[in-house]
Amino acid sequence: MSAFAASFAVSSAHNSYTGAAALQREQELNRFLQDVEKRALRIAEVSVRDRDEALDIVQEAMIKLARKYAMRAVDEWTPLFYRILQNGVRDWHRRRALRNRVMAWFGTPGGDDDDCDPVAAAADPAGRTPDEQLQQREAMKTLERALAALPLRQREAFMLRNFEGLDVAGTALAMGCSTGSVKTHYSRAVHSLRESLGEHWQ
Amino acid sequence: MKEPDNTERDDGELAKRARQLFDESVQELDAETLSRLNRSRQRALAHAKGSGAQAAWLRWTPVAAAAVAAAAVVIVLNPGNGVDELPRTTASDLELLLAEEELEMLEDLEFYRWMALEETAEATGQDDHVG
Repeated sequence: MSAFAASFAVSSAHNSYTGAAALQREQELNRFLQDVEKRALRIAEVSVRDRDEALDIVQEAMIKLARKYAMRAVDEWTPLFYRILQNGVRDWHRRRALRNRVMAWFGTPGGDDDDCDPVAAAADPAGRTPDEQLQQREAMKTLERALAALPLRQREAFMLRNFEGLDVAGTALAMGCSTGSVKTHYSRAVHSLRESLGEHWQ
Repeated sequence: MKEPDNTERDDGELAKRARQLFDESVQELDAETLSRLNRSRQRALAHAKGSGAQAAWLRWTPVAAAAVAAAAVVIVLNPGNGVDELPRTTASDLELLLAEEELEMLEDLEFYRWMALEETAEATGQDDHVG
């Protein structure tokens, strides 16, 4: 067991808080969610390619963390939150696959949402020319398409390690797999992305 | 031996560029989205308060635990009852916690079928890349 997992286990006893301690815990949870929510939304959005759906998934993950794990040690929240989020994303994909199958059964299009543009509604950032903004957005869209083409677990490993900055142990906890699997999935993801994006993307 | 170094450097550059683009896309989230995130967070915190209230009754758990412990002592002292699995380690607590999430997935076999297809596709993709 890794040092991270060991510390996770040692501090895993349930606590209950009252009065000032409860208020402090609520403030800590608020800060944690505030800190993680935007990145979590984008990670979910890259996975499901739809902002409204991603917002729903993030909200469910927040509620679940708050309801079930608010009493856990603060340093456990990040892998727990992303574990819940990834489960939400996987569940979304499962539901969509089922829906597509049902729609195909009735002979209607499955309603593939791949043509949605998750960054089109983004506000203009300060300090860059419109051309630069356009280039950045196009590059991000290209990256999102490449990420969407990856197998699920490769995509998870890449986003958790690279976008969220989780270490290997934290990513393994969030994905529910071994650290060795995380390294393999991440390595394959980078290899595939390099193949699909090509030299010009960078 | 130079080629692997270049590949590693390219991988590092790719990861760095991807991270940079992702960070920028996070910064560009519009006001409406941020507002919805804020509302979601407030809802989540309301649930935390709910669980706090729920935790209030947990203050009675020492009493309940004492009763359970007393009952356990009676059972252990009673010959013929093989109660040898009472201790629960923190490590198993972790497993329990993680298993709790897995149980939800176990409820739907369709999901597992889909996961198996994903894994197969992944393995096939890897075979294509290894060369």
